Amino acid sequence: MKDQIQEKAAASATKEAHAATGTEALRERRKHPRISETPPVPPPPPKLDDYVPIIGQAYIDELRYLAQRLRGKSLKMVNSTSVGGGVAEILNQLIPLMNELEIPTKWEVITGGNDFFEVTKGFHNALHGGEYNLSKDAKEIFLLYNEQNRQRMEFTEDIVVIHDPQPAGLIASKQNTRGKWIWRCHIDLSNPHPDVWGFLRPMVDQYDAAIFSSPSFARQLSIPQYLFYPCIDALSEKNKELDESYLNKVCDDFGIDRKRPIVTQISRFDRLKDPVGVIQAYKLAKKYVDCQLVLAGGGASDDPEGAVVLKEAQDEAGSDPDIIILNLPPWSALEINALQRVSTIVIQKSIKEGFGLTVAEALWKKKPVIAGAVGGIPTQVIHKLTGVLVHSVEGTAYQIRYLLTHPEFAAGLGRNGYEHVKENFLITSNVRRWLLLFQILLGTAHPSGPEQT
Amino acid sequence: MATAQLPSGKLQRWAKSPFFFNTVAHLLRIEREQARNLGELLEGLRACSDGSIFQHTFRTLQEHHFIREGFSNDFAHWAFEACNEIGLAERLASLDIREFTSIPTLRERIIAIIENYLKANSRARERAAMEPFYFCASDTIIIPTTVVARNLQEFADGLEKVSLNSIHYHFIDARLRLKLNSNDFSVWLDKEMDLGPLADRLNRIDIYTSTLQDVRRQIIRDIQFAM
Repeated sequence: MKDQIQEKAAASATKEAHAATGTEALRERRKHPRISETPPVPPPPPKLDDYVPIIGQAYIDELRYLAQRLRGKSLKMVNSTSVGGGVAEILNQLIPLMNELEIPTKWEVITGGNDFFEVTKGFHNALHGGEYNLSKDAKEIFLLYNEQNRQRMEFTEDIVVIHDPQPAGLIASKQNTRGKWIWRCHIDLSNPHPDVWGFLRPMVDQYDAAIFSSPSFARQLSIPQYLFYPCIDALSEKNKELDESYLNKVCDDFGIDRKRPIVTQISRFDRLKDPVGVIQAYKLAKKYVDCQLVLAGGGASDDPEGAVVLKEAQDEAGSDPDIIILNLPPWSALEINALQRVSTIVIQKSIKEGFGLTVAEALWKKKPVIAGAVGGIPTQVIHKLTGVLVHSVEGTAYQIRYLLTHPEFAAGLGRNGYEHVKENFLITSNVRRWLLLFQILLGTAHPSGPEQT
Repeated sequence: MATAQLPSGKLQRWAKSPFFFNTVAHLLRIEREQARNLGELLEGLRACSDGSIFQHTFRTLQEHHFIREGFSNDFAHWAFEACNEIGLAERLASLDIREFTSIPTLRERIIAIIENYLKANSRARERAAMEPFYFCASDTIIIPTTVVARNLQEFADGLEKVSLNSIHYHFIDARLRLKLNSNDFSVWLDKEMDLGPLADRLNRIDIYTSTLQDVRRQIIRDIQFAM
């Protein structure tokens, strides 16, 4: 009997020692996370049939039917960069699918010197409401490069889609072409600098239609305006299903304990994403509930302000061993996917936001999301139905506590959020929107009213 | 979702005319009207297109078809979330679009609810909302499918195959086209298959407490139950 007790005590001590070693190892790993130093080879783009298990055969058949009516029509997309940035990412996903639907689609990128891109960066900030002095030189540089590109490019397609303000001046070619011209504005124009918008608006008014990501981002224009939500690709590295073993590996690499609740915010180290506020909310919640906080993002290596914000977050975190701050390189899509999937709650406590597609990414993974009620977030998070909206550090802390202690409610939000994304924010929904718009503009289909048969 | 084989008997009869499943695709247009308070919402409701009323009632129900409770129409949602007018939100949320066979009638009803509320709560008219209401409208394109039903078995199989857009089009939007408090499925079952009681049962399925996927399952179950 005594031996048995001793054996049991020894086993218990060993277990505790292992647990202590495990915890120590995790804490050590958090100090030195294993971060991939080289970008992986990108996978080939998905085919339409790959989406059948996600959205069903009937939806794919509908896309094929809509595309059939556009046979023989061609399309050109023009933007200002082929790599990096949301627009290039969307075009990389969209164009192979359009070509698979037998709508020949070309993608061209405008060129320009540093002076051009300095001006367009200034325009970008000014259109978001920032201060800007629109000089005669800036206008001339903008028009000069647009004219150079216009001379170089041909517009023989049936539809020409110009993305964002940088190439907006290409509209000067419209009068010599047969195609319909669409301006796809990805940025928030709700409060633009009046001089910059006053300069661009006469160009925009010459298009046949404009597309915005949210009604609140739009301006009053003389042309029809359509609403295309930004979208995610369910089969991309950032959103595809992952093996359990990979999830474990990522947690191991970053020192995350999967046995305890994980609260995560994925975003650049940017004050507008309020990483310090997230840490403060976590600290308030931690008084009542056990959890770890993961703040993962990039932007601190190539952006001086990002490095400052990262430092602010690290200072706010102090020596709390349960706060894991990860400055990830741009090729970390799989790791980000894994972090979202292992999370118990995902936070996006933005103070100002564009559309905020990281919210859609988290919802797609059926995660309960706590998000700031700004920009396009309320379109994705319907309060208490597909997630919860917050306006303060205290509100965020309360929702962390509530969701961690009401897992059934949290799971319901996750389920609804997934369906919301499936219905509205997937690349396949956007393909459908493009096909509909092309048909309406080219007159190959005529929209009917709600009471028409 | 597997469909049980229907037994032979009167329910295996052939329809006088087949049921052709269609589906529908919508493109959202951003309209000119915006509202920053309830007074402006009323003005917008009077001026906006029928497509706008359709979008913010019938269509929004489809866009949020996965929610079993707490979502009715965009006007109710805005009154609650942006205006904090709970009493008004409750009245607007109680609107059941199945009771309306025309958009003008639905528009009048929404306007009447808001006017009555503002008579009793005059300060609410000018009170600024936290977020504006942006009127949108739907451009609708009807898409034929290859799915056709000539008997109940084919009808049940078809219901499984088509998208939820098709279910919404035939089961909910249909009453605007038919000008009847019914739907395409019930009309076909009644007129072409002489199955009035089954048609009535389908028409009583609650779309506000069921997801559209639930509606699809319930229709198929009712067909099987009718055996």
